[in-house]
Amino acid sequence: MSDALTISLASGASAPRERIGNKAYSVARMAALGLRVPPAFVITTDACKAYFEAGEKLPGGLMAEVRARVGELEQRLDRTFARGPRPLLLSVRSGAPISMPGMMDTVLNLGIDDGVEAALAAESGAPGFARDTHRRFLEMFARIVLRATLPDLPADQGPGRWREIVEKAAGRPCPSDPWESLELAIAAVFASFHSRRARKYREHNGIAHDMGTAVTVQAMVFGNLDERSGTGVLFSRNPLTGDPAPYGEYLPRAQGEDVVSGTRDPLPLETLRTQLPEVHAELLEAASKLEHQERDIQDIEFTVQKGVLYLLQTRIAKRSPRAAARHAVAFASAGLIEQSEALARVTSDQVRTLLRPRLAESAAEGATAIAKGEPAGPGVGQGIIVTDSDEAERRHAAGEAVVLARATTSPEDIHGMLAADAVVTETGGATSHAAVVSRALARPCVVGCGACVEALAGRTVTVDGDRGVIYEGRLPLHHPEEDDDADLRLLREWAEPLAPLRVLRAGEDPAAEAGAFTVPDEAIEDERPALVARLAGHERVRGAVIETHAGIAAAFEAGVKTVIVRRRLPAILSSIEAKRASGS
Amino acid sequence: MSDLHLVMHGLAVKKLASAKAVADLLALDEATVAGHLDALVRDKKALAARQAFMLTPDAQNELKASYATIYANLRSNEQFTAAYERFEIVNRDLKQLVTEWQTMEVAGESVPNDHSNPEWDARCIDKLGALHERCEGFLADFAGVVPRFGAYAKRLEAALDKVEAGEPAYFSAPKLDSYHTVWFEMHEDLLRLLGRTRDE
Repeated sequence: MSDALTISLASGASAPRERIGNKAYSVARMAALGLRVPPAFVITTDACKAYFEAGEKLPGGLMAEVRARVGELEQRLDRTFARGPRPLLLSVRSGAPISMPGMMDTVLNLGIDDGVEAALAAESGAPGFARDTHRRFLEMFARIVLRATLPDLPADQGPGRWREIVEKAAGRPCPSDPWESLELAIAAVFASFHSRRARKYREHNGIAHDMGTAVTVQAMVFGNLDERSGTGVLFSRNPLTGDPAPYGEYLPRAQGEDVVSGTRDPLPLETLRTQLPEVHAELLEAASKLEHQERDIQDIEFTVQKGVLYLLQTRIAKRSPRAAARHAVAFASAGLIEQSEALARVTSDQVRTLLRPRLAESAAEGATAIAKGEPAGPGVGQGIIVTDSDEAERRHAAGEAVVLARATTSPEDIHGMLAADAVVTETGGATSHAAVVSRALARPCVVGCGACVEALAGRTVTVDGDRGVIYEGRLPLHHPEEDDDADLRLLREWAEPLAPLRVLRAGEDPAAEAGAFTVPDEAIEDERPALVARLAGHERVRGAVIETHAGIAAAFEAGVKTVIVRRRLPAILSSIEAKRASGS
Repeated sequence: MSDLHLVMHGLAVKKLASAKAVADLLALDEATVAGHLDALVRDKKALAARQAFMLTPDAQNELKASYATIYANLRSNEQFTAAYERFEIVNRDLKQLVTEWQTMEVAGESVPNDHSNPEWDARCIDKLGALHERCEGFLADFAGVVPRFGAYAKRLEAALDKVEAGEPAYFSAPKLDSYHTVWFEMHEDLLRLLGRTRDE
C-alpha cells in the first residue's frame, strides 16, 4: 500500500508522530520494545487533511484500505470482524500529534450486534457479559459518535429496546451495518478536530489548524474468555509509597470494565504469579523496560487472553506525595534522571502535605469515636465544635481553634469553613458542596455523619479526614520533621543551591532574625499584589503567610532576600517554582 | 414578578453578596439592584455588612412561601421542566467530575489532586469542556423560557474559557466565579424556581 492512508502498527514500524498521532506512536513504541500490544493500524493525519479538503468527506479509497487492514487484524487473531463464531471487535480512538481537548473519546467494542453478542456469549460462557458489552457499545456510540444526550440504558432491558432509546435520543438510528458504524466513527474523529474546543485550544497555544488528527483502530482483546484470561493494572513501582517493588492488581476472567465499575474486587498481582507464572514474569519485564525507556513510574493496563499477555496502554502514573518524593530521589540516585529533574517532579505543596500533622501512632486506640461519616477532605483538624459560620469566624478571629459542623453547607458557609480547622456535615457524600469546598480550601472534612450537629455542639474534638471519624477531645498529633526523612533531606540538599532567596529555619540564626519584618497574620487574606506591596522594601521577612506557597512567591516577586520559616524545604521549593514561573 | 422580588431571589441564591454579584447573577443593571438592596435593608428584609447583603430569616421565609404562586406557570412549562431533567443527568456527572478534579485515585486509594500529573488534569479539563457542550441544549432552553438564565450560560463559558486558557482555579475554587460556583448557583436558582430540594 504505497501512498497509503493507513499504516500497520504490527511490529513497531516507525512512522513520524506528525503522521500517526500520539496514541499510535505510543502503541508503536511499545511494539518496538518487543512488547505485545493488540494488533492495530492507524489512519494517518493525511487522511484527515483530505477529509477537510473534500468538504468533510472521507477520501475515496480510504474505506477499501481500512477493510484490507481489518482483514490483516482478522488473520493475525484468527477472528472475523463483527461475525461469529469468533468475532473481532474494534476500538476506535482519536490521536492528534499533540494531545488537545475536544477530540473524540474512544469508542470500544465496535462491531457488536445481536449475532455477535450470541457468539461472544457462547465463546466466553458469560451471556451477561456479552449483553453488557452490547449495552456499553450502544451507549458509547450514541453519546460519542451520534452526539446524543442519552440517559444510561436500563440494564434490565434488551438490545431492541436500547436501540429504540438511542434512535429517539439521537434522532437517527445506530447503523445495523458494522462497516457503516466504523465509517461514522472515523469521520467523527476527523470532525472533532475542528470542534469548537479543539480550535480554541489551538488558538490559545499557537498550534496550526491544519495539523489534523490520526485515528487508531485496534483489536479488542478479552480477559474473560477462559480460566487463562484476565485483566489488570501494573505500576512499575508502588504509586502510594514509592517503593521500587512493582505493584498491581489482577482480576481473573474479567474485562477492564469490571475493574472500573467496581462490580468485582481485584486481587493482588500475586494471584497472576500463582495462576500464570510466565505471564507474570513477562509483565514485570515489560514494566521494567517501559520504566527505563520513559524514566518515570508507569501505569500499565494489560489483558491476558487465553494465556497471552497484551499491553493495552502505558502512561505516567499518578502518585501520592510520598511516592513523588521517594521515586524522584531513587531515580536521580540511580542516575536515570538529573537532580534538577528530580526536583521538578516534587512540588512544594506535596512536601507541605508530607509535613502536615497527623494522628500520632496508636492515638486512636482507646479514643472515643463520637461520630463517623465519609472521609471527604484529608488531614486532621482539632477544635471546639461550632454550628454557625458567623460564630466560627468570630471565635477563630479571637484566636480559638474551631470545627464547623452543619447539616449541609452552602455558599453562605464559606467564610465559616475558611475559619474552621475542619468541617463536619450530617448529610451529603464525597461530591457534596461541603466536600468540594473543603478540598478546595484544604480543610479536613467528614460528610454524611447522620444527625450529629446538636450532639457535637460545644465539644472539643479531633476530626480525622482520612478515615472519616470524629473523636472526643484532642488526640496527640505527630508533626513530621523534614530532618527525620531521608528523601526530604536529600531533596533539600539538591534544592538549596538553586533557591533564588535565602531560606532560614526559625531559631537557627538569631543574629539574622533580629530585626526581620514579621508579616501580620491578616496578610493571609491578601491578594497577590497587596501581599507583594506589603513585603516590598523588606530584606528579611517571617510570619504565617511566609509559610505558604503564596507568601514565598510574593516574597520572591517583592525582592525579599531572606525568609525565616519553620519548614525549609517547602519554602525552598516554592521559591524555585516562583522563579521558574516568572520565566527567569 | 417585580424586580424587587427578583433581587430578593438573587440574593437568596447568592446568600451573601455585593450588589454587583447579584446584578451579574440576574443580568440586571447594578445601580438598579443596589437601589433595591438598600430598600430591602430599610424594610429590615436584608442586612448589610462590609459591602455585602444577606436576607433576614423572615424575608427568606416570605420569599420561599411566594415561589409556588409566582412560578406556577413555569413549574408547568414543559420546555423548562424537560430541560431541568436533562440538567439533572449532567449534574450528577459534574459533581463526579469535580471530585475527580480534586481527588485522584492512586492504586485504589484516593489522594488529593495536587496537580502534579498534567495528563490527569488535561483529561479532567477535556471532560469539563465535553460536559459543557452537553449543557448547551438545556441552557438555551432555560434561557428561551427565562431569559436571565442566559447569564449563567455566559458565566459558565467564561469559567471554562479561563480553565482552558491555563487558569485551573476556575474549575472549582469556591471564592471565584469558578465553573462549580456558577453551577451551584444555577442549581440553587432552579431548585427554588421549581420548588424542588437538593439531592446531595
